[in-house]
Amino acid sequence: MEDVLDEIVSSEDLQKFEKVYHEQLHQGNVTHKAQFEYAWCLVRSKYATDIRKGILLLKDLFNSHAEGKRDYLFYLAIGNARIKEYNKALHYVKSFLEIEPANQQVLALEHQINKRMEKEGLIGIAVASGAVLAIGGLVGLGIALAKSTNK
Amino acid sequence: MSRCDFKIVLLGSEHVGKTSLVLRFVNCRFSDATPYQNTIGAAFCAKTLCANGKNFNIGIWDTAGSERYEAMTRMYYRGAHAAIICYEPSSLESWKRLRHWLQELRIVEEDCKVYLCGTKKDLLDSEALEREVDEDVVATYSQGLFGHFLTSSKTGENVDELFQKIVEDCAADVQMMKNVEENRVQLQMESEKEKEKYCYC
Ligand SMILES: Nc1nc2c(ncn2[C@@H]2O[C@H](COP(=O)(O)OP(=O)(O)OP(=O)(O)O)[C@@H](O)[C@H]2O)c(=O)[nH]1
Ligand SMILES: [Mg+2]
Repeated sequence: MEDVLDEIVSSEDLQKFEKVYHEQLHQGNVTHKAQFEYAWCLVRSKYATDIRKGILLLKDLFNSHAEGKRDYLFYLAIGNARIKEYNKALHYVKSFLEIEPANQQVLALEHQINKRMEKEGLIGIAVASGAVLAIGGLVGLGIALAKSTNK
Repeated sequence: MSRCDFKIVLLGSEHVGKTSLVLRFVNCRFSDATPYQNTIGAAFCAKTLCANGKNFNIGIWDTAGSERYEAMTRMYYRGAHAAIICYEPSSLESWKRLRHWLQELRIVEEDCKVYLCGTKKDLLDSEALEREVDEDVVATYSQGLFGHFLTSSKTGENVDELFQKIVEDCAADVQMMKNVEENRVQLQMESEKEKEKYCYC
């Protein structure tokens, strides 16, 4: 499904906003707007290094610009989900929902993150199923033993 | 590569009711109870509709109207097959901005099919709000476009009709249907490759 976690920024767009940001950086005066727009492109990049850079810029904004907190939290969640830092992503989702519990956009994002975690968990098991079965057997035995000794 | 056959994008000033329209269409719901929450950047929804005896997957990008996001929401116009530009008939301001939205859209996506949508019809019907935008003006303006609908996300009036008309217009567009078919073949091939990757387990 094409969605907010899959869509990818075009390289022209990324370059366009990167240029504005760097020009302002050079002049020693970066506006919130330029930093947000650049970060917003970065977290939608297909490269994890870009996404991480975007996350740093968003964290900086989050700490310095109270007015836009909602925007920054939302894209921090998206950025982290895209590099599979699902627990961090869910942490940002929770902080958001504490302020706006019924926000449709964020609830949908939470749902999507959970779906991904589930899917990737299942794929992991399928690939290593042989090993998991073997360990599972041992763990099962261990639990059974523990139970019997508890009695 | 998109899994959707058609891409529809929603534009219009903040608070005119774009998100409510999409949620009514996709979830058949409207909630008065939750306070207004402006969309952040853009939100995505999908739904399947039938036209001409065929099913189509439509992807909808609901963009934020606030000026804060303007530089970014433009990116979502790209590749749109159809656009719904919303205004509130009770707000002349929102109608005046319509031309601006249309221009912005045309810069990015020249041949996208454009539909106008006057929102919150229930409030006009119950006379809670007064119409500020002249109906004749709207009729004249929408002549060169693909249609004009007056909708209520609260009652659901004309909401399905609007989306149905869009999908029918798209399904009747020969060039567009050719692209849809090609896109589907491409996707099929990709998903088969994907399956091969995992077939050992
Ligand atoms: N009575 C009534 N209220 C509506 C209708 N559509 C939207 N509203 C209300 O109008 C307000 C704005 O609606 P939204 O759908 O969030 O507006 P939007 O265009 O998505 O706004 P942005 O995301 O900021 O661009 C909300 O309080 C809705 O409940 C309608 O058909 N009838
Ligand atoms: Mg909205």
